[in-house]
Amino acid sequence: MILQATLSGIVMGCVYALIALSLVIIYKSTDVVNFAAGEFVMIAGYLGLLLLDHFGLNYPLMVVLTVTLMFAFGALFERTALNKIVGFKYAAEAALVPMVVATIGLSFMLKGAVRVIPSTEEVLRLPPLFSGPPVFFANIVLQRQDIGIVIVAVLVMIALTLGFNFTAIGKALRATSQNPRAAALIGIPVKRMRMMAWGLASGLAGISGILLSPKLLMTPDMGNVVMLGIAASIVGGFTSLVGCVIGGIVLGVVQNLIGIFVSPQAIAVTPFFIIMLVLVMRPNGLFGEAMRLKKV
Amino acid sequence: MYGSLRASEFVGVLAILVAGFALPFMLPEYFLYTGNMLMTYAVLAIGLDLLIGWSGQFAFAHIAFFGIGIYGTAILESRLGVPYLLSALASALIAGGAGLLIGFPAARLKTVYLALATYAFAECAQWVFRTWDPVTGGSDGLRFNPPVIFGYETGTDGAAFPVVAIILALVVTATLYLAKSKLGRHMCAIRDSEHVASASGIDVRGIKVATFAISAVFASIAGSAYTLFQSFINADVLGASQLVTVLTMVVIGGSSSIAGVLLGVVVVGFLPEILRAMPHSLLVWQEFIYGAILVAAIVFMPQGLWGLFRQRIAARPRRHDRSARESPAVRPVPETSP
Repeated sequence: MILQATLSGIVMGCVYALIALSLVIIYKSTDVVNFAAGEFVMIAGYLGLLLLDHFGLNYPLMVVLTVTLMFAFGALFERTALNKIVGFKYAAEAALVPMVVATIGLSFMLKGAVRVIPSTEEVLRLPPLFSGPPVFFANIVLQRQDIGIVIVAVLVMIALTLGFNFTAIGKALRATSQNPRAAALIGIPVKRMRMMAWGLASGLAGISGILLSPKLLMTPDMGNVVMLGIAASIVGGFTSLVGCVIGGIVLGVVQNLIGIFVSPQAIAVTPFFIIMLVLVMRPNGLFGEAMRLKKV
Repeated sequence: MYGSLRASEFVGVLAILVAGFALPFMLPEYFLYTGNMLMTYAVLAIGLDLLIGWSGQFAFAHIAFFGIGIYGTAILESRLGVPYLLSALASALIAGGAGLLIGFPAARLKTVYLALATYAFAECAQWVFRTWDPVTGGSDGLRFNPPVIFGYETGTDGAAFPVVAIILALVVTATLYLAKSKLGRHMCAIRDSEHVASASGIDVRGIKVATFAISAVFASIAGSAYTLFQSFINADVLGASQLVTVLTMVVIGGSSSIAGVLLGVVVVGFLPEILRAMPHSLLVWQEFIYGAILVAAIVFMPQGLWGLFRQRIAARPRRHDRSARESPAVRPVPETSP
């Protein structure tokens, strides 16, 4: 029972970790928490369903197309809205409030746009990546789609690690997030990198959407899952990519165990409680670097 | 200048009071309800602006203190029979104490961490309101009787309107005085640069904690005002969407200026009413349009409506240089030693 709960916690934790990665990539490169990330997840789920059912694409093609579209969408939002708010300032701490409100506005837009489509009121379900009968190990039941989720999440994380460390674009992204001004001085197109980061993060949210939609009830409000991503990244420290993977998995497991040992009612409040607990004890999260002074 | 109010500010407060006593005779009940709601939002938004606009603390816990104000006043007044003003005072003290408690850990946090920790606190508080059945009535909500203040019963929107207006006028006056006080200037100094503020001898931590407490008291007062014209409270009212509404009011109106915040309250508060009046075929787009307006407003007026307005005024040539005196605490206040 406990082992089963732990395993399914790890599965959900992998998805939370992907959402957390999406948030952290955006935060590191543009200094803003994307409160619309949950809606990105939601949109990707519906987009995938649309492509599968309406356009009759096969599954792999649907995944590729969804992620590409999400990438374009995120980059477009950064270019058309956020870039205008930041203007030409690179250190954007003062712009935090307007930018966060802009992402909240975007989340309303996405939710509203989905609600306009009448068929979203019905119960819809995106087929999982791998379907088939569950696999048994001793007395543990593993759903095939859960195994698929873990595999995809791990592959994505490996790809991100390799991408950030060994490719020119990845290094440029890291340079931009560490010191935008210096990055601009050595010829990195900072603006394009910010767009790129938003695109990448939206693509990640898209993958999470495809993985998560078969497991959750699809509604226009499923974007609330963003809080779990935020909690995962807080545990991880909001500036550490490794941290948020660990944070996501810890959160998924803790949530399931609380459901068993405390009460199912308490599951909803767990992420918030964890956020508070971690921040009160360690203001920069468990794996976060200390806050740097960017300007006086 | 320390101390007294300027003529324009005095007139503004007076206008709120006059409107409070005159409008109930002129408007239908539904408008009065909207008016009450807007004035409550105004008190909430002014309190939130103390944190966000004045001292630059991006904190989201506000709605929890609003809840403490509502539940505290309602329970004390309706269930225990404490007089309204006393129960409002007690709730304000409880909220202020909770604000202090939150303020100490929150003063260590910055930017996103602060935003998320306080947001998490608000969600936890909502969860408590929803699940603490014996006290708050749980998810069924809580009914309460219309308060009676010195024999004056405020059951209807019309009867509550003048009282809510008095509350708003008091809060605005208090904030105007705060703007001119040492505390208010220290808050602005912390917003403009925490490091410079602490280097010039300002107790950054203490001021932050005090701001949290004052803002919590304001939110609780808004909650007490809410009980004047409502007779039912449910934890659903105290959710993130409400918080976003108040935050939007502050940001769209123009933070760190009372006039800006009030403007934002009116504009954002009437937006749903206007959207509701749209042709029926467009009605489904309501949420989308609301979001689009939000994004557009932020992108095109990062300083808010009031900021845009003031820029226009500043751009216009003037005979006397009065603009420097007329704009309130928005601009960085120069360090003054008393």
